[in-house]
Amino acid sequence: MFDFNSNNQPSGHDFSRRAFIRVGGLAPLGFGLSSLLASEAARAKDGSQELTARAKSVLLVYLGGGLSHHDSFDPKPDASEEVRGKYKTIETNVPGLRIGELLPRMSQTMDKVCLVRSGAHNNDHHETATNWVLSGRFGTPFGDWPAMGAVASHEFGFDGTIPPYVAIPRNPSFTWELGKSAFLGGRHESFKVGDPNDKSFRVRDLFAPEQLPDSRVQRRQSFLKTIDRLAERVEGSDAIQSYDQYQQRATSMVLSPKAREAFAIEKESDEIRDRYGRNTFGQSCLMARRLIESGVRFATVNYAGWDHHAKIFESLDKKLPEFDLGFSALIEDMDRRGLLESTLVVCMGEFGRTPKVNKDAGRDHWGPAASLLFAGAGVKPGVVIGATDRDGAFVTEKPFAPHDVSYTILSSLGIDPRKHLFTADGRPVEILENGRWMQELFA
Amino acid sequence: MLSTHFHGRMLSFAALAIAAGWFSCVPIRQAVAQLPDMPSFGNNVEPVLTRFGCNSGSCHGKLAGQNGFRLSLRGYAPEEDFKSLCEEEAGRRLNLIDPDKSLLLLKSTGQMPHGGGKLFDINSEAYQVLSKWIASGAGGPRSEDPHVVDLNVTPSSLSLEISQSTLLQVHASYSDGTKRDVTWLSRFHSNDAAFATVSPTGELIAKRHGEVSAVASFQGLVDTVVLTMPFSSTINEEQYTILGDSPANRAIDQHVMAKLKLLHIPPSRPCDDSTYLRRVMLDLCGTLPTADEIREFLTNASVDKREKLVDRLLERPEFIDYWTLMFGDLLQNRKERDHDVRGAKGVRAFHTWIQNQVAINRPWNEFARDVITASGSSESNPAVGYYVVTVGEKQAAESEVADSVAQAFLGTRIGCAKCHNHPLEKYTQDDYYHFISYFSQVVLDRKSPNDGHTLLSHGTQHLKNLQRQLQKSEEELAKLRSEAVDDKKIEEKLASIKRQTDEVEKARLSPPMVRQPRTGKQLSPQGLDRRPAEIVAGSDPRVRLAEWLTSQDNKAFSSSIVNRLWKHFFAVGLVESVDDLRDTNPPSNQPLLDSMAKELIQSHFNLRHVMKLIATSQTYQLSSDTLTENAGDTRFYSHYYAKRLPGEVLSDAITQATGVSDVFQGYPLGTRATQLPGPQIDSYFLTTFGRSDRVTACSCERSGDVTLAQLLHLQNSEALLDKLRKDGGNLNGWIAETESIDLLLDKCFLTSLSRYPTNEERESLKAAFEAADRKEVAIDLYWAILNSKEFTFNH
Repeated sequence: MFDFNSNNQPSGHDFSRRAFIRVGGLAPLGFGLSSLLASEAARAKDGSQELTARAKSVLLVYLGGGLSHHDSFDPKPDASEEVRGKYKTIETNVPGLRIGELLPRMSQTMDKVCLVRSGAHNNDHHETATNWVLSGRFGTPFGDWPAMGAVASHEFGFDGTIPPYVAIPRNPSFTWELGKSAFLGGRHESFKVGDPNDKSFRVRDLFAPEQLPDSRVQRRQSFLKTIDRLAERVEGSDAIQSYDQYQQRATSMVLSPKAREAFAIEKESDEIRDRYGRNTFGQSCLMARRLIESGVRFATVNYAGWDHHAKIFESLDKKLPEFDLGFSALIEDMDRRGLLESTLVVCMGEFGRTPKVNKDAGRDHWGPAASLLFAGAGVKPGVVIGATDRDGAFVTEKPFAPHDVSYTILSSLGIDPRKHLFTADGRPVEILENGRWMQELFA
Repeated sequence: MLSTHFHGRMLSFAALAIAAGWFSCVPIRQAVAQLPDMPSFGNNVEPVLTRFGCNSGSCHGKLAGQNGFRLSLRGYAPEEDFKSLCEEEAGRRLNLIDPDKSLLLLKSTGQMPHGGGKLFDINSEAYQVLSKWIASGAGGPRSEDPHVVDLNVTPSSLSLEISQSTLLQVHASYSDGTKRDVTWLSRFHSNDAAFATVSPTGELIAKRHGEVSAVASFQGLVDTVVLTMPFSSTINEEQYTILGDSPANRAIDQHVMAKLKLLHIPPSRPCDDSTYLRRVMLDLCGTLPTADEIREFLTNASVDKREKLVDRLLERPEFIDYWTLMFGDLLQNRKERDHDVRGAKGVRAFHTWIQNQVAINRPWNEFARDVITASGSSESNPAVGYYVVTVGEKQAAESEVADSVAQAFLGTRIGCAKCHNHPLEKYTQDDYYHFISYFSQVVLDRKSPNDGHTLLSHGTQHLKNLQRQLQKSEEELAKLRSEAVDDKKIEEKLASIKRQTDEVEKARLSPPMVRQPRTGKQLSPQGLDRRPAEIVAGSDPRVRLAEWLTSQDNKAFSSSIVNRLWKHFFAVGLVESVDDLRDTNPPSNQPLLDSMAKELIQSHFNLRHVMKLIATSQTYQLSSDTLTENAGDTRFYSHYYAKRLPGEVLSDAITQATGVSDVFQGYPLGTRATQLPGPQIDSYFLTTFGRSDRVTACSCERSGDVTLAQLLHLQNSEALLDKLRKDGGNLNGWIAETESIDLLLDKCFLTSLSRYPTNEERESLKAAFEAADRKEVAIDLYWAILNSKEFTFNH
């Protein structure tokens, strides 16, 4: 409904910025970015358990393309051969739980995670489903709704020298970029870290392209001050204030040891880097851990390439071990460092894959069933929730839709999913239209 | 309590009302007198559901409803709502025997748990309406009920001091000639709560100096009130003088000044020559002036040099390139996402087509007409590309084409009306489907580039199928004839062909129609002004559409394009946003918008004429420096609003300043960013600086936002550093050939900031040069310049 009656200032819209520009006085410096500078507080609005912030950050490992649940976390050893596929199952350190044999390290890590075998929805289009699961709202393939990370960025703002929302190495994409900030605008897009496995890895533009002596750095800043007097002559311009604010942010990020430190993956020991795996995925997980430690509120590790319509077992023979190594390392490492308490870790794709292996020895898109992993932030570890039928085709217990997952993720951060945001044309929309708190995940 | 006698009942109500205290502040006598014996579902009940938010988009009005109860959004489908209330859930929502026990009343008064909370009191006006309706048998919408035909809010315009308030009144006129005060049933909305708020009961409170409009809505109709809150500074008449009587002064400045005077906002002083030169060149051509051009302009003593400059700029190739880019955005010239059929080649072809229109200053009505009626192969008519992108793989009447056309050419967002009536405008779902009906006879025969060219033809898929069958039959006939078969077979074939020919003719002449998905009715083409189009059977309905759309009488067509042009130069449209023109979103200066639209029409839709008026107006030549008294103005043009340069323009400016070109894959070295045909060309810089992806016709696609990634890029990008250091780039050249530091400073400043250094800057910078390595200092200086707002903004 339109905001007829309330005094809600539309957020992220020109109105709220102008409200604070007074005639006759310097507008409060950077007011227009109050949403960026505002400190966040746990928002237990009505005392309900749901909205209490349980996590300071979210770490989302996104398996673009769609993870085959039959061959990983929801194997069906008793089904027919064309359904159960090539792999056998192995025991895990959760009594009664067996998973695919290519996940030995995960089998010893399942006691730290919660396995949900009942992700379900009715869409099998990559872009549409990806945008759906990343935002919690069903829309067009082009992404009409902001990804959860962008919402987090919008709600928490820039707290210190690290951007609140990062993507490692970049956003998911097929033909075009997905999981974007939609109407929340450019300032809430994820900060793209790049590939930390690159030998010459450097965050794009984060470091000066050449080593400059302090004297030259100072000189540049002093020249900038001398020349750039526009702000002195023009009051009341939101664009100018934004520019100055971001310029300062950029400079402090570059100059701040803390910011540079956060991205300095080379500081990790060889041992730990090997443990995560010397590949893009493994190093991205390690980078995500570092960034969460440094204060990033929402980190997405984009691990694509699961779309195996043909020769799936050949591909998974290589990919599952890589996943196994990296993700188990991530969970162990975060646990050891005490990060799981304050971080919600989620691992999911945009859908599962078809129960029957097709004529090209592959599996196709399958919305009605998928497996997801959760850990940290009060999630019950060592538990399996939900189940699929004998063929892993349809959910028989506790189905969860993408909006339920998003509802839970946002609520964990203390963000009220029913809160209104404002689109570019002033239309108020709730962050999520549907969805419920996945009570079953929590103790 | 409830007697059956009308008067008795009224007395009971009155007594209860007085005793209980009324929810709204409407006089009892008036409200009570309005309530008929059998309240009408459409005229009494539905408005209550709308007024108290029951059918709002966050409650029961959303598509999925709320907790199993769904109403149409803001009551656009009363017949459905009646069903939901009466027939669903075994009728438990209404209790005809004991109305007070109806769920509808128990929940809305908070007597039972209700997610929406308590909406009104027991025995409030709203309660009375609903309970009386239930008690009278809960009748449904009747076709004989009068309906609202007009809505009026009073006052329609007024002036207030800050913190002063006024109570708005809303009257509805009905088809039976009656008039009703519906203030308590109206919903109110301020177009900018920072400037004025309006309470649910219609109390309008002035908050800040300036001007704002508020909207009252009732039963799908809307009306607007304009509130002016002048600043308190005293007026100095001199400040508002218009220095001349040029066409621009008359068309533009008199209106701007009148508004500023009304609001007591003094204008800033005029800008100097070097500021003007840079500003107008960036706005018209997307390029910086060269050092020589600056020197020439500054020393030129002729009185009309600025006007002559504008004339020259309008003819430059860079002007053509820049406006081709702008129109490329408007017409969504890009590759398709899925199964692209034109390829980059098609994008380039459409780009060239647009370029031709801009180059010959094609009248806007003809330009628009050619796009809307484009037919044939995308190769021979690149404008067909517009349909390839907006229709895509769908049927035209189910695609985005109507949304795009309305947004691009009329500045109107009718998309909302696809599923429900437009919330703040009079467009209904029927209006939407009548409009898209114009496109119901567009057939796009898509072919991937290897297989041939995509063809747009007039007709329907059904017709095409029949034509194909007919052709097949004719081929079979020819075959039969050549095989010298039985005459009988030939006769049969001939008969079959005759039948098929008749069917084809029937299909060809069938009138364009589209099925309205909610009502199931077939709707014929009709403009948004609801006048039916007369379409000759068998002709392309888009021809009529183009006629209606580009007509001189179509205010939206002329207003929207001049508003876009206005925004391009002034950063803020007369209507914001530029694709949201509607009665309930009035321009900040109506006489000015009308004047500009008139100029466009009288000049035969000459866009350059309008641009020249803008560029030579006194208003456009105001400084961006603010005065204390006008720093808070962001809508009335008391000063030039500094704006970040668009991505392509900034990229080219850096190229121009450094003398080192960008490399764009597939294009010759030296190609400027403003010359690129579409967003498919890879460029981190352009993406980061908000280039339009042209996914939709929304003006929001191009972003002028400032972001962190942009600032990081300007500070640290290797590409930028490379340009600063490159052999053959400007800096190296100047250092090699320039002895005097003064001259070196001049070159740096003129080439990048389009001005000379100030004395203060000169002193301080000279000292720096003398103290260290010249080359390093020059790079540091240029780095600072390219990172400054003075460089990255137009001001």
